[in-house]
Amino acid sequence: MKIIEIKNLKKTYEDNSIAVHAVNGVDLSIGEGEFTAIVGPSGSGKTTLMNIIGGLDEATEGSVIIDGINTLELSTRKLTDFRMYNIGFVFQAYNLIPVLTAKENVEFIMQLQGIKKAQREERATELLRAVGLGELMDRKPSKLSGGQQQRVAVARALASKPKFVLADEPTANLDSKSTENLLGIMEQLNEEEKITFIFSTHDQRVVKKARRVITLEDGKIISDKRKNSNNTD
Amino acid sequence: MKNNLKLAWRNLWRNRRRTLIAMSSVIFSVILASWMRSMQEGSYESMINNTVKYYSGYLQVQDTAYWDERTLENSMEVSPELKQQIEQIKKVTLVSHRLESFALAANQQQSKPAMVLGIEPKAEDQITAISKKIKYGAFIEANDNGVVLGQGLADFLNLSVGDTLVMIGQGYHGISANGLFPVKGIMEHPNQEFNKRLVYMEIENAREFYSAYNLSTALVIMTDDHYKVDKLKTDIKKMLPPGKEVLTWIEMQPELEQIIRSDRMGGFIMLGILYLVIAFGIFSVVMMMTKERQREFGVIHAVGMKKRKMSVVVVIETLFIGLIGCTVGLVISYLFCLWFYHNPIPLTGETANVTAQYGMEPYMFFSLTPSLFYNQMILVFLISIFIAIFPVYTIYRLKIIRALRA
Repeated sequence: MKIIEIKNLKKTYEDNSIAVHAVNGVDLSIGEGEFTAIVGPSGSGKTTLMNIIGGLDEATEGSVIIDGINTLELSTRKLTDFRMYNIGFVFQAYNLIPVLTAKENVEFIMQLQGIKKAQREERATELLRAVGLGELMDRKPSKLSGGQQQRVAVARALASKPKFVLADEPTANLDSKSTENLLGIMEQLNEEEKITFIFSTHDQRVVKKARRVITLEDGKIISDKRKNSNNTD
Repeated sequence: MKNNLKLAWRNLWRNRRRTLIAMSSVIFSVILASWMRSMQEGSYESMINNTVKYYSGYLQVQDTAYWDERTLENSMEVSPELKQQIEQIKKVTLVSHRLESFALAANQQQSKPAMVLGIEPKAEDQITAISKKIKYGAFIEANDNGVVLGQGLADFLNLSVGDTLVMIGQGYHGISANGLFPVKGIMEHPNQEFNKRLVYMEIENAREFYSAYNLSTALVIMTDDHYKVDKLKTDIKKMLPPGKEVLTWIEMQPELEQIIRSDRMGGFIMLGILYLVIAFGIFSVVMMMTKERQREFGVIHAVGMKKRKMSVVVVIETLFIGLIGCTVGLVISYLFCLWFYHNPIPLTGETANVTAQYGMEPYMFFSLTPSLFYNQMILVFLISIFIAIFPVYTIYRLKIIRALRA
């Protein structure tokens, strides 16, 4: 079942009066439960594509249909709500709220959704245990390592039970052990709970784990490989 | 809301030192502003006290012709019912008859024009507390035929307690007024001019002296709330028969009101400069707090927090700084001014002399009027709200992508 359908997506901006096509006519479908990596050299447009899918950036042309809704046509207010209920984000620099504990960071989105305290706490505890931080949930981000912070970010991304998680270079700031650990957790969540993960990455360790690898260059998809079937869509 | 408050409170303390500096600047400014205003209003109250409490009262009922031509010919007869009616008005604390005129005060060798004030001793003492200013002898009582002189006048005429004062003047309808009066007391009046010229006399004695039987030149009215004089004037005016009018101290002392008003404006300009400094102090902190959290704003907006809610949190943060600073500043400044209220700063040297020449006590007085203090709090609160526009504006202009790259 497709959860994201992108058609003829274009993003053009001007840099010193020169038109730059960051995304140049991308057509792409992502199904439920996929574990997809978007790769490509710097400037290939993968982050821009991720941002448009996540409703963080606007497109110049085309459509992004998520769950039957073209997100590019939503108002800013509706788009904010849409992101909250449908998309989980994991950022390169973790971006946790520094004044909140790990558990409160995970609870944050559920608070915005108006979920009751008892329910929030139960789910936050469950998610933090799932990412191996059951013992550290009362610590603030400054008292956690980079890897631990990124695991909190994953738990936060899953808190609202999103349709998919967008992870922009999630391992870029992590050492090998933390990367291995984090990828293992995400892979497990994908396999056991069928959570869809979409990564943009340079990291070959992520690419190795991904079951689908989409390569971008100059804003265009130049290859789209599924590891189990080795075919191109 | 509870969560917003919690988040705002924690955000406030993410840089403890900076927040404490911002709050200290608010506290210091509130103390300084309150202290300035308290001293300013205290000196006005002292000026008003000197003129109002030692002479005019807050309101006076007079014959309509008296204020323009202050002679006994324009005195009036006041019925006991009218006096009683005025006494019954809420906020009126005292009503007293006065008969005021002039006479030549003399001893055996020399004379000097004097201001004669026929008074109801008990009531007058409640108005002016003049019995406490008696330096020699005693204050006059009801049906007393003695007089109390200002020390300057007594010194000029070389009179002491027990001596006889000769007074020559013109009574009601031009009748000759002559009399000998025993000096019962000598006072040191705080107003230097009065000290040199004033003679206090029991009102019936004065009426007898001036042949102005049953007459008064004014009915002096006191209140415990001088901010309400205009309202009292309206109430009293309704009770007066034709031929009588009621004047407020401001109408009787327009120069004093003008001096206070212009001085107060000067104070407000100083206060304005001070508040500008406060505003920039808070603004710089809020600006830093906003700028350094661009990426965080981007993230929390990305994950679903609406800009309106983000704005509420940053407004609460700004208000916390303002309100905590104001409350602490208010408590400290009140205690500070309370001490000075009970221990006014004595003036010395030339300043003391000049103050005395203007008929005021040589002290720097302080006021404890509550509005002086809570007004500072309200102002800083409003400044905080105004400053909160900046982070709100920043949030509403926020572009997630740009913020995430910050």
